[in-house]
Amino acid sequence: MYLLLIKQFFRSKTVLLAFGILMLLGVLSIGTGKQFLNQQERTITKTVEQHNKHLETQLRLHKDDLGLLMYYFKFSFINSLQPLAGIAIGQSDINSHIQNVTILNLEGQKYDTDLVNPLRLQVGNLDISFLIIFLFPLIIIALNFNVLSEEEEKGTWKMISIQGKTPFFFLLKKLSIRVFFVFVALALLFLFAKIVLHIPFTIGFINFIAVSYVYLIFWFSVCFFVVLLRKSSSINAIILLTMWLVLVVFLPVVINQYIVTKYPIANAFSMTIKQRDEYHKRWDTDKQETMDKFYKHYPQFSKYDVKKEGFSWLWYYAMQQMGDDESRLEREALYAKIKSRENLSRKWAQFFPPLQIQLSMNEIAQVSLSHHLKFLEATTQFHEGVRLDFYPKIFENQKATSVTWEQFKPSFYKASTTFKIVKILPVLLLIGILVGASIFIKTRTF
Amino acid sequence: MSRNIVVLVGTQFFKKTFSTKGFLILLGVFIMVLCYVSINSWNAYKTRHHAIKEHQVKARESWENNPDKHPHRMAHFGTFVFRQQHPLSIFDSGIESYTGNAIFLEAHRQNTANFSEASLQTGLVRFGDFSIALLLQLILPLIIFFIGYAAISEEKEKSILKISYLQGAEMKEILLGKTVGLFLISSLFFIPSFLALWGISYLENQTTYNEIIIRTLCITVSYLLFFMILCGITVVVSAQSKNSSKALLSLLGIWLLFFIIIPKMAQTVGNYWYPNLSKIEFKAAVEAEVSKKGDSHDSNDPYFKQLRDSVLKVHKVKDVKELPFNYGGFIMSKGEAQTAEIYKKQYEKLIESYRNQNSITQNLVVFNPFLAVKKISMSLAGTDFDTYVNFLDQTEQYRYKQSQQMNALQMKFISNKAKGSEGKTHVVDKTYWKSFPDFTYQYIPIFQILSKNLLSVISLLFWMLVIILVITRFSNRFKII
Repeated sequence: MYLLLIKQFFRSKTVLLAFGILMLLGVLSIGTGKQFLNQQERTITKTVEQHNKHLETQLRLHKDDLGLLMYYFKFSFINSLQPLAGIAIGQSDINSHIQNVTILNLEGQKYDTDLVNPLRLQVGNLDISFLIIFLFPLIIIALNFNVLSEEEEKGTWKMISIQGKTPFFFLLKKLSIRVFFVFVALALLFLFAKIVLHIPFTIGFINFIAVSYVYLIFWFSVCFFVVLLRKSSSINAIILLTMWLVLVVFLPVVINQYIVTKYPIANAFSMTIKQRDEYHKRWDTDKQETMDKFYKHYPQFSKYDVKKEGFSWLWYYAMQQMGDDESRLEREALYAKIKSRENLSRKWAQFFPPLQIQLSMNEIAQVSLSHHLKFLEATTQFHEGVRLDFYPKIFENQKATSVTWEQFKPSFYKASTTFKIVKILPVLLLIGILVGASIFIKTRTF
Repeated sequence: MSRNIVVLVGTQFFKKTFSTKGFLILLGVFIMVLCYVSINSWNAYKTRHHAIKEHQVKARESWENNPDKHPHRMAHFGTFVFRQQHPLSIFDSGIESYTGNAIFLEAHRQNTANFSEASLQTGLVRFGDFSIALLLQLILPLIIFFIGYAAISEEKEKSILKISYLQGAEMKEILLGKTVGLFLISSLFFIPSFLALWGISYLENQTTYNEIIIRTLCITVSYLLFFMILCGITVVVSAQSKNSSKALLSLLGIWLLFFIIIPKMAQTVGNYWYPNLSKIEFKAAVEAEVSKKGDSHDSNDPYFKQLRDSVLKVHKVKDVKELPFNYGGFIMSKGEAQTAEIYKKQYEKLIESYRNQNSITQNLVVFNPFLAVKKISMSLAGTDFDTYVNFLDQTEQYRYKQSQQMNALQMKFISNKAKGSEGKTHVVDKTYWKSFPDFTYQYIPIFQILSKNLLSVISLLFWMLVIILVITRFSNRFKII
């Protein structure tokens, strides 16, 4: 029986086309992921390489003046992506994950972006997460929308009703074949991805797979529910496609626009102006005032004095420090706004599986906005560490040769995941409701 | 061909669809969504517009309020440019969310444009932007397909087509009539959208955007063409198909392929074939070339040493301190000119690689009217790639002018005895700050936009022609039974 049903299943041109497109796009998506990861790797190698070259040149030019050397010298802080980012690129192409910063005012440096084609960003990446969220539902719809109605329209359903004891189980069998092959297709993609992208079998990867399958089950239960309504093929197609359109295309953009307009972020601009002005105005204000503020921040440096007249590095770096210190309020306001956006997104996403899955995947692969914020915070700490190392050396007019430069190789940021699998409970609940409703309908239509 | 029959078939289709149950609900929902998105985008635009204006004024004020200063301090004080949006971005947001909004222009350094909307948004940003254009480009085509898929196939199934034929209606008249009817029905959806578009254009009709009316007109015409093509395709597919459900499936397949899969694939393949340099590689390339030419920061650099010697020779002095102008300013202006040129060359290469990435999508407009109308719409709404690149070019030009102006002031007014830029002795009068004009962005002239989109325009016209040809010349190929 199963064998015949499977044969029949693969007779259809739609089925072959659907799986064909899926596999083609699957290969393309893994290629995209691979290229993305390769590019990251290349950039990191280049950064390390460049660091050594940079150090050499700067040491050659400014070896007698550590203050001046530090004005130019850039420290690299790298957020190396994990292989999972190859299957869910998320926002990691929008936000730069390599920081090259001098010990000057950090706020003027840390938001610098990488070079990316904006049109490329707008079209988005064709990665596996896109395939799962956008395309798999369509495949599932295409395979299931006429699973019952086609038989009714061709007149074969009557024969099944007469011959079989339970036509409903026949329907379940047909459905199970579809579930099986779609699941296999996804498993194949994950397998390819694992091999090509060298993804280790971590809890993250398993979570990712679990989340993806839950999402597919959600769409199967949607189809199941609609199929049992026993409308014609065309009506089913329209209903299901409209649901896809609303859930995957329409609502997410509406919700996102709502969130963005609810919390407009002009604070970024205020902050960026403030950090510049606070540093630059110090050139014309009272030196002692600047120094007092600096000593208040770093009491340990109050032993270093500044001459009343003329330039000194101590005064210069104190001025630079003011850019960071005095723009703190603006910066906190900006971060608070971003956090509000995040919270509201999470709240809304609970009710809509595609949103929930997208956010979950980004979190698992550590490519979400909150991960980027954490990286920015880590950058601040890294920067502070370097500052504290070099400030006394500069203030004491040490020679550049007295610094052990090997200590300042490019540093790597270690991300940690915050994802918990319970986050997809709402999706499971929705599936439960859909299946329950289907069983209820079944008692009426069968 | 009889015009009466065409009109008759058209009005009949219009009336029949209009009285279908559910149609008014669909129309109602569409218009409600349209109102929501128009008002919401309008508000968002206004909020941003004010925020940007306010910050631009604030940044300028703090530039002008600088006291007498050493010009090189001013060169590093620099200018912030916050990117203004074109009002038509309310209609089509294009790549707006992904382009940097704030750029800092200072001496020696070309900074990136930062704080794009997308960089401050959550993971939901990947689902795309919501604008009136999205409704017209993605949703309305689907609605047209839903409404029109059975236009001919249903009549075939119910054997009405035969009767119409026997009564003297030719196939091409029926096809044309249905197309006209479907177009009229879809006009109920797009006319309100155009009203929103023209509303924006009317309200924002100021001198800064003096070509906004022509832009709006061109947008309207291209969308009209696009919808005509879609209606034609719907009717032709319906006539080609054996039954209605086949027709629907084919149309849905077309939608998926042409509106979702091909555009995404085209860009992906483009990115794959033409990878661009990362920032670190780009900077390394610039630095390598700069150090080849000579580093103005290096006092022993042969190029600049030679330059110094020749300057000393011309002015017949022995030391740079005896020169009639500030030598530091002179060297910096030379260095700036040199690095700016090298940067420009590398930058143009980078943009070229972006253009290559986009080229596949660009060339596909010939086969895909969706891509054609999308491109035209974005360009005219000032939210496309070219406009953004043009913006960056203008900021770089401004940056260069600003730096060189400050260098010129330094050469003219700062004594060669000055040891640094600190203090109140070696300064330039503050009136100079005010007299340096603020940055204003000039939009690309409409003629240039249209000529850049010539391929897309031709594509729309070509498709229109093909549809007309298929309906009028090859109508006898369609089966009536």
